[in-house]
Amino acid sequence: MKKIEPILDVKNLYTRFYTESGVVEALDGVNFDVGYGEPVGIVGESGCGKTVTSHSVLRILPKNGRILQPPSEIYYKGVNLLDLTDEQMRHVRGKEAAMIFQDPMTSLNPIFKISDQMIEVIQLHRKVNKNEARDIAIEMMEAVGIPDSAERIDNYPHQFSGGMRQRILIARALALQPSLLIADEPTTALDVTIQAQVLEIIKEMQKQFGLALMLITHNLGVVAEITKRVHIFYGGRVVESGPTEEIFVNPFHPYTKALFDSIPSLEQDKTRLATIPGTVPQLINPPQGCRFHPRCKYATEICRRARPPDMWVTETRRVQCHHWEELDLTIDKEKVKEVRKTAVSVEGV
Amino acid sequence: MRSFEEYEVIDTDLFSAWDPNKFPILETKNLKKWFPVAEQSLLYSKTVNFIKAVDGVNLFLNKGETLGLVGESGCGKSTTSKTIIKLEEPTEGSVYFKGIDMFQPMTRVEELAIKRQIQMVFQDPYASLNPRRMVLDIIKEPFDIHFADMPYEEKEARVLEILSKVGLEDYHALRYPHEFSGGQRQRIGIARALAMNPEVILLDEPVSALDVSVQAQILNLLHDLQIDFKLTYMFIAHDLSVIKHVSDRVAVMYLGKIMEMAPTGELFRNTAHPYTIALLSAIPRPDPRIKMDRIILEGDPPSPINTPSGCPFHPRCWKAKEVCSQKQPPLEEVKPNHYVSCWFPEI
Repeated sequence: MKKIEPILDVKNLYTRFYTESGVVEALDGVNFDVGYGEPVGIVGESGCGKTVTSHSVLRILPKNGRILQPPSEIYYKGVNLLDLTDEQMRHVRGKEAAMIFQDPMTSLNPIFKISDQMIEVIQLHRKVNKNEARDIAIEMMEAVGIPDSAERIDNYPHQFSGGMRQRILIARALALQPSLLIADEPTTALDVTIQAQVLEIIKEMQKQFGLALMLITHNLGVVAEITKRVHIFYGGRVVESGPTEEIFVNPFHPYTKALFDSIPSLEQDKTRLATIPGTVPQLINPPQGCRFHPRCKYATEICRRARPPDMWVTETRRVQCHHWEELDLTIDKEKVKEVRKTAVSVEGV
Repeated sequence: MRSFEEYEVIDTDLFSAWDPNKFPILETKNLKKWFPVAEQSLLYSKTVNFIKAVDGVNLFLNKGETLGLVGESGCGKSTTSKTIIKLEEPTEGSVYFKGIDMFQPMTRVEELAIKRQIQMVFQDPYASLNPRRMVLDIIKEPFDIHFADMPYEEKEARVLEILSKVGLEDYHALRYPHEFSGGQRQRIGIARALAMNPEVILLDEPVSALDVSVQAQILNLLHDLQIDFKLTYMFIAHDLSVIKHVSDRVAVMYLGKIMEMAPTGELFRNTAHPYTIALLSAIPRPDPRIKMDRIILEGDPPSPINTPSGCPFHPRCWKAKEVCSQKQPPLEEVKPNHYVSCWFPEI
């Protein structure tokens, strides 16, 4: 299989925050990539470094955050973003890589009309006059399914609901025709029926524009639905990456398996949930060796001592664990069959 | 240690008429809570409209079961629970606890006796604990209110006992809330609710602020406590997979009304109300092999100020006919124990 050059290739990303209580090792040697036109998921619990990763890629970290250089490298279309000047970086943000944020309530300025906020962004990056920019804005708003876009564009953010605002943010991000869309928990603040609408739009837009999508979320359902490949984050490191279908059926890393087991499933009946003991590690003083070892039931001496290497275990899958070969974590066949059966009956509804 | 009954001032005659085998432990009848919307000017303020947060809710809890209450934000789940524990006065309708109307005039002693038995755990473990008080004081407060004459040593001993029940250690009692993680704080919130040895606990989104791995710990803890203390839960959540996991029966709420109420298995297998069907199909499944035909609802839920006439769901419903916009369908028992409020249910 020929390897296609990825649009975004993050290598050895180390991000540190310098705070009064100490140095936060937010990202600790993160390696991952996103292919051209490929929807990729970044999954993990709060504080695992998902959002820091996206902020590092776009270089929008707060003042006390530093990307260690060397060894960090972030290649976007073959160019190392960390070598660019601030001026050059500004052209990358928005025009090349656009971002939508978690909270649609705070990402729009409440005292400006939607039209002002859309036109400003479009004119900043594209050589068009105000009327043309407005037309582009209306066209994009129609594309994401906002009724009466031509009139509603002159409304203020508070006149839209949460789901509508998230659509506007998607429209604004896509108006610049970026190649990469970074979506940071785009549906977390929304209700399920609205989430379904927004996910549908993201899926459609991704296909229509051939976007590379970096979808950051903690919701495993959303990941399963949209992405082709997934990177699982834990404690500032990527513990496992690979095709979504394979990882969901056959996880190699004990954390991935434990994470899947701890979510209550719609397909199973009331039983006790498997839990992961303890809590997410503090990254000011992270555990030595493998960062998951204090919560891992398979941990041995080497896990406490040495950081597991990033290993390619198949063509497409990578895992960071000393013992992945000895463990048989495959979700048992019976359960898979059961899930399939219920899936069919759900479809029948 | 003396038992709670010895401290109880009144005798338990209050609930003598109640038979647990015949009647639900908690029941709401046509419960309504409308908040006035006022138009204010310099000189006057007049009520121009109402936010119909809860608009005629009929539900009941049987002793020892878990009722899951599910719905989207703004549908009135939290207001319902706040009215049940008397944090809000209902606009209309009433709440019956063990057959007693909670909003009838009663003495302070009787009121405390009822309130002791219904406790609540709140959603946000960061906002529901006073940051300036030690855990010991937070959990001891109910004892100070309800059992003022209990000796200090006994209160302290009881607090430590409760802490161990929720998986915390003795030394945690002398710490402040900010020293705990989200999951541990939720344990403190649960300990506080358990302090009065209640029969019913209302859980208002108790796990939605937590990470999945911690969420599982709390769900298991709640399950164990329910068995140990023979508790009755009303579990409010917006996450249907959590609801399915914990509940014996599920009630689905939309715009201040109950749309469907049925035993969990029945509700998920033989879904009758179009809204419930759409809600179930909207959940993204954590399994890439499941491909579903999704029903995507148009638009947003209407505002509770200008509720649609007739069935509140009719503007977004694909089965809506003329009658739906004219008359509100009653909550009817279409099958044993399966209640639906719809003119054209799927049966």
